[in-house]
Amino acid sequence: MGTKGRSALLIGKALGSASRILRFGGGSTLPGRVARKIDPAFVRSMVDGLPLGCVLITGTNGKTTTTTLLASILEGAGITPVHNRTGANLMAGLASALIRDSDLAGTLTGRIGLFEVDEAALPDAVADTSPRLVLINNLFRDQLDRYGELDTLASRMKEAISTLERDATVALNADDPLVASVGRGLDQAVVYYGIDTDSCSSRLMQHAADSKHCSECGSPLSYEYHLFGHLGRYSCTKCGLARPEAQVAATELGVMGLEGTRCTISHPGGSISLFIPLPGLYNVYNVLAAFAVGTALEIDVEIIGHAVEKFTAAFGRVEKVRVGDRDLLMILAKNPAGMGEVLRTLAGERVWKNILLALNDNIADGRDVSWIWDVDLEMLSGQLREVVCSGIRAWDMALRVKYAELGQGSLVTEPDLERALDIGLEAVEPGDTLFVIPTYTAMLELRKILTERGLVTPFWEG
Amino acid sequence: MDIRICYLYPEMMNIYGDRGNVTALVRRCRWRGIPVDVEGLGLSEKVKPDRYDIFFMGGGQDREQVLVCHDLLENKGDAIRREIERGAAALVICGGYQLFGKYYRPFDGEKLPGINVFDAYTVAGENRMIGNVVAKSALGGRFGTVVGFENHSGKTYLGKESAPLGMVTVGSGNNGEDRTEGAVHLGAVGTYLHGSLLPKNPGLADFLIERGLARRGERSSLKPLDDTLEWRAHREAVARARKTH
Repeated sequence: MGTKGRSALLIGKALGSASRILRFGGGSTLPGRVARKIDPAFVRSMVDGLPLGCVLITGTNGKTTTTTLLASILEGAGITPVHNRTGANLMAGLASALIRDSDLAGTLTGRIGLFEVDEAALPDAVADTSPRLVLINNLFRDQLDRYGELDTLASRMKEAISTLERDATVALNADDPLVASVGRGLDQAVVYYGIDTDSCSSRLMQHAADSKHCSECGSPLSYEYHLFGHLGRYSCTKCGLARPEAQVAATELGVMGLEGTRCTISHPGGSISLFIPLPGLYNVYNVLAAFAVGTALEIDVEIIGHAVEKFTAAFGRVEKVRVGDRDLLMILAKNPAGMGEVLRTLAGERVWKNILLALNDNIADGRDVSWIWDVDLEMLSGQLREVVCSGIRAWDMALRVKYAELGQGSLVTEPDLERALDIGLEAVEPGDTLFVIPTYTAMLELRKILTERGLVTPFWEG
Repeated sequence: MDIRICYLYPEMMNIYGDRGNVTALVRRCRWRGIPVDVEGLGLSEKVKPDRYDIFFMGGGQDREQVLVCHDLLENKGDAIRREIERGAAALVICGGYQLFGKYYRPFDGEKLPGINVFDAYTVAGENRMIGNVVAKSALGGRFGTVVGFENHSGKTYLGKESAPLGMVTVGSGNNGEDRTEGAVHLGAVGTYLHGSLLPKNPGLADFLIERGLARRGERSSLKPLDDTLEWRAHREAVARARKTH
């Protein structure tokens, strides 16, 4: 490391401890941002010190959960990762993780880099880390105001991936037609993963489906079945392009509501049955993604399975908190596909529900809130006791609920999150659960409120 | 008298919650006891004469938009224009709006011809215009404003035959230069605002429903609805738009 790199590291470290002591938050981006200003090659020179190289995880939904799960798999295998565990996934976040996980001489405490990366930041991350493995979990519309169109995003990702070393591996979700298309014609080894059973499928595509046309010839895709959003078993009606064979696949699934999912996963070395303690098909994909990476890194399947079974979700993604004699279950939903899947899981629980929908439109949420009209809220019709709408865009959310005509339940609008939380909790019967579904910054705010009340621990201590 | 809505290319042209506009039209008819039907019309299907009272089309990704452009010209454009001349209402958003103009000129490649409902043309622009929009509009209802979210790089310019839907006070509008937003021709409204537009702009929603009813020969005014929540959402969105610019 050069002089510039060393001063970048020292200043970064100083900023990191200052912001933790002063409680600005976790110091998860500022140190890295400053270090990269001082030395633009900072990330490159730091990752050179990782004997096992880097793994990058990207995609619209599930980045944090998949990466956190992989971190515990790696720990279980005795490989300590350097991991951007606060979810700060732009280049400054990667740099901050490297600063945090190194000593003053720049020696890293981990042996492998494990980074979740924002979809739009992938080309930069690939250039700076020369990863041994890149995984794309799915591509949904999410903040198009930031990324532009999905097709463009996918072709930019493919361009970056094609510059990887020839012995690098690319792991792709076979069930997402746009993601799978990234693997066609690559020189690098491609591992596909997906769901090989239609036991949880539906004949109908949901409204949050985004890639309905063949990436090769533009003709409509036909689906044998749909899993969620545009994910499913597809083929092109014209050119014959089909969903690729998955080397890592869920062959049996038994959904057990909010508790989780039983599944059997086949992999190149055999198959394993396990219980995923996280709800929803989207978490099945996160687990398959972790299996695809874990097996590609030649980690023992028993170790992977063990880490999955004892996994608790990344902060805020799914979090259960006891508040007095009531429960609060918070599930992050930051785009139509994610929210649709959360609601579908909720709708599967045949009980009366109290829910709090918290919609913010800060930069990190995306300024545009029109996506709530792509969510099939109607599936909760007749199951709601009370809906509280909150956040900066509480009134937009309330209109969405009104036009969904959800039946008897009452609708309360309270933009202030703390007051909304209390209103929501008060309406819950003792012993029952308030389901809280926030966007990203609303989740952070709600977590802060719960932290101040001593109900959860701050994420940088987690 | 019932109203029939034609949802043009529902599978392909629905990128930013556009279907919420159709939901708003349907609910606002049903809450008044007006029977309403929605029919989707996809590629290669024809527009039957006198069948539809309100047309709706949203925005799409580039690839979808090119397919739709060809299909509109080949199978539907003349019929839609004729129906609008005969009194049908229409709401077309973003990509749909562009295709209802005279043409779209990309940076490279051929001009994409439109179906000439609006006297307007669009040229590809360098920068994307993204953000909340507020425009003063005669069709805005109680407050004389429409509010929504824009996200487009095409710049649209109006000719003499089409009036703007409104004049922007926040945001870019048609082209970021002349403050116009959208276009109106008879009962047809084109706009860059999604968000969804109609739920929190009930004045505009009711304008379209009134036109649709008039087309069926029903000229009485609409039963008022309790729009407290709609107008509150409208006002809050206007305030948020001012704050985020």
